[in-house]
Amino acid sequence: MDAREVGEGRRQILIAEDEPFIVESLTFLLERQGYDVRSVRDGAVALEELSSEPPDLLILDTMIPSENGFDVLRQLRQMPHGGAVPVLVLTAKGQESDRRQMLSLGADEFVTKPFSNQDLLARVDRLLGDAGRRP
Amino acid sequence: MVRVPIGQRIRERRRRAGMAQAALAKMVDISPAYLSLIEHDKRYIGGKLLRRIADALELDLDYLTADQDTRLVETMMELSAASGIEGLDTESAASLVGRYPEWARAFIKLHRNLQDATETALALSERLSRDPELMALSHQMLTQITSVRSFSEILAEHQDLGSDERRRFAGIIASESDALTSSARAVIDTLEHSGDAFRPTSPAREVDDFIIDNRNYFASIEEAAAVLRRDLGDERYLSDAALAQRLFSRHGVEVVFGPLHCARDVMAPRLEIAEGAAPSTIRFRLAQRLCALEFADLFEEIVATARVSSAETHDRVLRALARYAAGALLLPYMPFLESAEALRYDLDALGSRFGASFEQVAHRLVTLREPDNEGVPFAFLRADPAGNISKRFSIPGLRMPEYGGACPRWPIYTAFASPDQVVSQLAAIPGGAQYLFVARRVIKPAVIHGRPATVFSVMLGCEAHYADRIVYGDAYASRRDSVISRVGFECRSCRREDCGQRVHPPVFRQGLRERGEGAGDGPDRSPVQPALVLEGVTDGRP
Repeated sequence: MDAREVGEGRRQILIAEDEPFIVESLTFLLERQGYDVRSVRDGAVALEELSSEPPDLLILDTMIPSENGFDVLRQLRQMPHGGAVPVLVLTAKGQESDRRQMLSLGADEFVTKPFSNQDLLARVDRLLGDAGRRP
Repeated sequence: MVRVPIGQRIRERRRRAGMAQAALAKMVDISPAYLSLIEHDKRYIGGKLLRRIADALELDLDYLTADQDTRLVETMMELSAASGIEGLDTESAASLVGRYPEWARAFIKLHRNLQDATETALALSERLSRDPELMALSHQMLTQITSVRSFSEILAEHQDLGSDERRRFAGIIASESDALTSSARAVIDTLEHSGDAFRPTSPAREVDDFIIDNRNYFASIEEAAAVLRRDLGDERYLSDAALAQRLFSRHGVEVVFGPLHCARDVMAPRLEIAEGAAPSTIRFRLAQRLCALEFADLFEEIVATARVSSAETHDRVLRALARYAAGALLLPYMPFLESAEALRYDLDALGSRFGASFEQVAHRLVTLREPDNEGVPFAFLRADPAGNISKRFSIPGLRMPEYGGACPRWPIYTAFASPDQVVSQLAAIPGGAQYLFVARRVIKPAVIHGRPATVFSVMLGCEAHYADRIVYGDAYASRRDSVISRVGFECRSCRREDCGQRVHPPVFRQGLRERGEGAGDGPDRSPVQPALVLEGVTDGRP
C-alpha cells in the first residue's frame, strides 16, 4: 500500500481500549492508513498480547478495566523488549496528573479526548517513523 | 463569495415537469445552448433570468437562489476551521451541499451539539475533579464526544464510504449522541442545584438559527405593527404617552419609573423602567411590552414553525419577536426604508429622525428584507470590550463568526477606541471579496451611582458594491489600495499567515486558496489601514 508495508511487512498496532466505538473508529482509520490493527478490551489481556506478540505500536487508554493503563505501561516497560514498543496514551482533558504519571512510566505520546482523527494519525505516523530508529 | 451549483436542480425540475430544454429556453427567452450551460453549472445566473426560470418551472425562487445553501457552505467551512479539520476546501463543501444538503445539515448539527457538549464536559471536568462519581461521568461524556467527533470526521472526510458503512457510522453517531444526552442528564441530576448551567443544547444558538431561517423578516408582524400604529395615531414619532396609555387602558399594565431595572415577565402587571434611561430606551421598552401583549397569539403561531427544543428557547424566541415588533412599530417599514435611502443610510441622521438609538436603527436596517422593497442587505454584529459576541446576523457571503471572536482588525473592535464616533472600513477579505463595515461604540449609562455602565460595539457590514448608496462609503470612492484594509473573518480560517494579530495557526494554507484570488491579495505584507473616523475628529481622514 505504501511505506508502511516496506521491510518486514505491514506495521502492527495494538489498541487497548474498552470503548467499542472508539476501537471501531480507530480501527477503521488505521486500517485505511495501511496498518494491521488488533484490539483488546482489558489490561490483563493487553499484557498477554504484549508479551506473546509485541506490536510496533501500542495505543493505550488510561482507564481500561482489569489492569489499568498505568499498570499495563509499567509492566510493559519491565518486559525484555518492552522498552522498544512506542506507546501512545489516550487521556481525557483535565487529567494533567495522569499525564505526568504516564510520562514518568515511559509513555511516548499523548492524545487527549476528544481528539481529531488527523491529529491522532499524525502522531501514530510520527511514532512509527521514530520506531524504526529505536535501539 | 461561495457559489453552490444550482444547474442540476434546474435540470431535475425541468425534467420532472416533462419539459424539453428547448421549451424552457423559449419560455424564458434564452437559447437552448445557453440553458444547457446553465444546467451544467457552466454559467452562474441570478436576477431576472433566475426569476423567469423559477416562474416557468413554478418554483419558489428561494429554492433556486441557493442563499440557504451558501449559508450552509459557509457554516461548514467555519466549523471545519474551528474544529481544526484540515484539507476541506470550499469547493468540495459546496459540492456536498449541492448534492446532499441533508448530510451537510447533519454535519453542522452534530458539530454544534459537539461544541456544546465539549464546553459542558470541560467545565465539569475543571470543577469536579475531586468527585469520583462526577469524574467518571465526565470521562464517559468525553469518550462519547470522542466517538461522535471521530465518526463525524470520517463521514465528512471519506467520501468513498459504502452506503452500509455510512449508515452504520451515522447510526453510531445517533446512538452516541443519545447516550451523551443521557450522560448530561445524569450529571444534571447529580448536581442538584446546577441544572440550568449544564444544558446540553444552547438556546441562544437555536434563536439565531430561527431568525436566520426567516431572513430576519416577518411579514405578518410588519402588517400587525402597521395596524397597531394606525390605531395609535400613525404619527412619525409615537409618543411615550400614547404607548403607555394603550398599555394601561387595554392591558391594565402600569408603567413605573424607579431605580430598579428588572422584570422581563411580559405578564407582570407593572412595567418597571429604570429612572434616567434614555428616551429611545424608554420608548422601545414600552413598545416591546405592548407588542408582546397585543401580538401574543401571532407570536405563538410563528414560534410553532420554529425548531424549538426547550421552554427557554421558546421564551427567547418570543422576546426576540417582541423586539422585532417594537422596531416595526417605532420605525415603520416604508417610511423608514425611504428615509434610509434618502439619508444614504446615515445611522445617526436616521436615529434623530425617528427618535431611535444607534443600535435600534442598526437592528431595523437589518430587517428591511421585504421582497421587492428591500434595503441594502446588512450583516450585524455586537460585541463587548472583551470581544465576546452577543448578537449576530449573517448574510450570504458575509458570515458573522459563530464561535470565538471576529478579526481584531474589524472596526467593531477599533470603535472602542473612538467613543461616540462612527468608524468605518473598506475591508478586503482573503479571496478578494470586499465589504463596507460601519461600527460605533454604544453605551448604556448606569442609572444608579456606583454601578457600571453597559458598553458594546455595534457593527453593520455589506458588500462593497453597495457603498455608493451609503454615506460612509464616500471615503472609499477611489477604491485605491491605500483606502482598503486587508482583514480576515476570524483567525483560524484566515490565510494571512504573517498577520501581527494572529493568535491561532491558519487551517487553510497557501495550497488551498480559492480560485480567483487576486495577485494583490496574498499574505498580508502591508500594514492594515487604520479605520477612518468619519465624524467629529477628522484625524486620519484622506
